Amino acid sequence: MMILVTGGSKCGKSRFAESLFSDIAGPKIYLATMQPYGEEAHSAIERHRKMRADKGFLTAEQYTDIDRAEIPAGSAVLLECMGNLLANEMFRDGQMNDCTDKIVSDILRLRQRMNLLVIVTNQVGSDDLDYDAGTAAYIAALGIINQKIAENADKVIECVYGIPVTVKR
Amino acid sequence: MILITGGAYQGKTAYAQAHFPYAVTDGAVCEFDEAKDAKILTNYHVFVRRLMESGIDAEASTAALCKDNPECIVLLDEIGSGIIPLEKSERVWRETVGRAGCILAEYAHTVIRLVCGIPTALKGELL
Repeated sequence: MMILVTGGSKCGKSRFAESLFSDIAGPKIYLATMQPYGEEAHSAIERHRKMRADKGFLTAEQYTDIDRAEIPAGSAVLLECMGNLLANEMFRDGQMNDCTDKIVSDILRLRQRMNLLVIVTNQVGSDDLDYDAGTAAYIAALGIINQKIAENADKVIECVYGIPVTVKR
Repeated sequence: MILITGGAYQGKTAYAQAHFPYAVTDGAVCEFDEAKDAKILTNYHVFVRRLMESGIDAEASTAALCKDNPECIVLLDEIGSGIIPLEKSERVWRETVGRAGCILAEYAHTVIRLVCGIPTALKGELL
């Protein structure tokens, strides 16, 4: 089972995604993709840790090559989030890489090994501002990845101000 | 409380006024105190920024608004679905608007989102 959870900033994606694991009996893994640089990253990590406390998640970190994460087969995995994974892959060598197909195939490989894969992603294309080429390419890549994962997902949910809206069931 | 959201220029104010013949209080310019008597409070995302610029806790104020003005129709632009801003103050504002939206949506009996002038009920029924 693969579920994609999307939405804008601070709309309750993580809280909703975590709620999908309340009935899971086996191992629950929180697969973090954010590299902890800077004060805001640390405070976001701390806030998410508090939210997960007592929910029985083990934390794994994998910043690129997500299918290589060392997670026991058959686990229930909460991957957070696609926006960071894409940034890490796209700019991994200090240059811009075309990595949309790679990320999608990594995800599909990871999914095969897991009992449940919930992916938190982001909506970043809804402000219609002019961006530099790198940012514009990032927006396009995330949109394409989201579409491809949604196509393969069993369910797609968009969170809006804490309200989960089922986009695909 | 009714929360009406959606991106900028999607027809939120027109939708609110089509269903309620009330005067509009513009959160972008009104006095902070006017919010608790407002019937239709627009531009709440700008209201949040003004609160923050005045050193007021916008999340606590939003919770207080729910208590003090429980019948208010609040209009809030969705601003959190673009690229994370480079400026820290803009990042914090954008996140605070998201959290304020969650507080309002939880309290509201009805939440409507407009896209291209078309309303969708996220909570409760269409007006």
